[in-house]
Amino acid sequence: MYGSAYNGTKSFSQNDIQTANATGFGAATDDYSERGIDLNEQLIMNKPATFFFKMNGDAMVEAGIFPGDVLIVDRSLKAASDKIIVAAVNDDLVVRYFKQNGQLFWLEAANRRYGNIPLEEFTVYRPWGVVTCVIHIIEPSLKAFSAPKKVGK
Amino acid sequence: MIAIVDCNSFYCSCERVFRPSLWNKPVVVLSNNDGCIIARSDEAKAIGVGMAGPYFKAKPLIEQYGVATFSSNYNLYGDMSWRVMETLRVLMGKEHVEVYSVDECFINMEKVPKAQLQEMAEKMRDTVEMWTGIKVSVGVAPTKVLSKVANRLAKKNKAATNCVLLLDSPRKIEQALQRTLVEDVWGVGGKSAEKLRRYNILTAFDLSKRDLNWGRNNLGGVVGERLLRELKGEKSRIMENPLVDKKVIATTRMFGNPVKDIKSIKEAVATYTTRAAEKLRRQHSAAKTISVFVVPKEDNFNPRFRHGPSIGSYTTLPVATSLTNELIKPAMEIVDQIFEQGRTYKKAGVMLSSIVPDNSIQGNLFETDNKKYEQRLLMSMMDNINFSMRDDILKFASSGTSRNWKMQKNFHSPRYTTRWDEICNVL
Repeated sequence: MYGSAYNGTKSFSQNDIQTANATGFGAATDDYSERGIDLNEQLIMNKPATFFFKMNGDAMVEAGIFPGDVLIVDRSLKAASDKIIVAAVNDDLVVRYFKQNGQLFWLEAANRRYGNIPLEEFTVYRPWGVVTCVIHIIEPSLKAFSAPKKVGK
Repeated sequence: MIAIVDCNSFYCSCERVFRPSLWNKPVVVLSNNDGCIIARSDEAKAIGVGMAGPYFKAKPLIEQYGVATFSSNYNLYGDMSWRVMETLRVLMGKEHVEVYSVDECFINMEKVPKAQLQEMAEKMRDTVEMWTGIKVSVGVAPTKVLSKVANRLAKKNKAATNCVLLLDSPRKIEQALQRTLVEDVWGVGGKSAEKLRRYNILTAFDLSKRDLNWGRNNLGGVVGERLLRELKGEKSRIMENPLVDKKVIATTRMFGNPVKDIKSIKEAVATYTTRAAEKLRRQHSAAKTISVFVVPKEDNFNPRFRHGPSIGSYTTLPVATSLTNELIKPAMEIVDQIFEQGRTYKKAGVMLSSIVPDNSIQGNLFETDNKKYEQRLLMSMMDNINFSMRDDILKFASSGTSRNWKMQKNFHSPRYTTRWDEICNVL
């Protein structure tokens, strides 16, 4: 029904591929037609477990994550040392490096102004997911295009 | 064996996924128009917030305990539901998954070795929570009805069961049935439960001891017999095909504020007709009958008929159609018939019935210059545009622009997973 509207990763039918048949003769390129590159296919490994977030702080600038960047987060990946993760710490969702040294665990910012968050017995902490990609938009008109139009309450 | 995977307080869980501050806190979700409470977290249940009660009645309690309250965010719930079901399809194979409702599905476990049933059930629970953030309970038993019994007990005794209960021996089944009242058995309504109690049948176990003939005679014929078979551990409802086309398509809504003028009613009815026609086209059907009804606001509030009687009428079309314009026209005529000047209305609805497969959809070579085919193409384009651009960017003029009848949603959370401009912030 919604064949030609984008419907998510890898759900398309061959009818969505345009052919040049206005003359009644198939163009030679028809035999070679295929679907264009789809960022969802390249950047999303596990669709039901993948979520988007927006970075709202400067804690990770030295890791190349700037305020306003969009993060792709995969919940099905396990947090391991040196991975960048989203974690819930005391009621907030934060992005940090996950660090482990033997039995010691902590969250580390990529900005010297921020201290480490030690993950001790009494820290209310839960990993949320692993950051797999950062989308950093640089063209101003594209920025305006995907800027928040209205934000839900 | 069959498993049922059921999300724990699904709507509340969806609201919590992106809000750590609400984990382990009382949360409620309100129905359309913020009228009733339709979902409660365990913590909200524990402080005594009742189910399906009107919001205004529970408000003092909600304010006293600072219960987080949300308007229903069906965009979010629909997407999260898809994620839960998709996770199970990936894990178990899609041919073994039968989606039963927005938050529950049956899993055919025939291929799972008996010794691994518990482990598999736990794996489903853990994987769904890891991938989606939604906690689920799993009941595993020889039949669907028994799996529901198991699931209910797993949910009621989260600490002891860790949300998984396996009924894999006659003894375990017997114990579970003894701990389940008849009214809590899937398919036993309040009325039948009353009747059963008169026969001194109080628990599911008592019921399971009756023979099939008794069930047929006392529990509504074949349905009752099937229920008894299932309780006795004999499969009788096969894994149904989940995607059965609907025989009736309805779109009804309460107005955000009561409405007095025919213009607003017509706008609302045109909008509902558009939505219903979209649903119709999505299942490649056409309808021959369209009914429209409105519900006037009762002056003297009668709690027995909370909505008051509805007033409606229907039109039978010469040919079944799925075209929005062909459905809006008779709908508007019906509104003209049933509208009474001077009354206040609180609800309207549209129902499409006499549904048949729409053959004009498969446009063929001989049909290309057919007007019907062109219109059909127009609908399909409109559906595509509205699907990809969202927010009904293309509307029929009759749906209006004022929309002062639109639903109230005072506590709406962001559509975190379906809108680019509403994704969750992180620090």
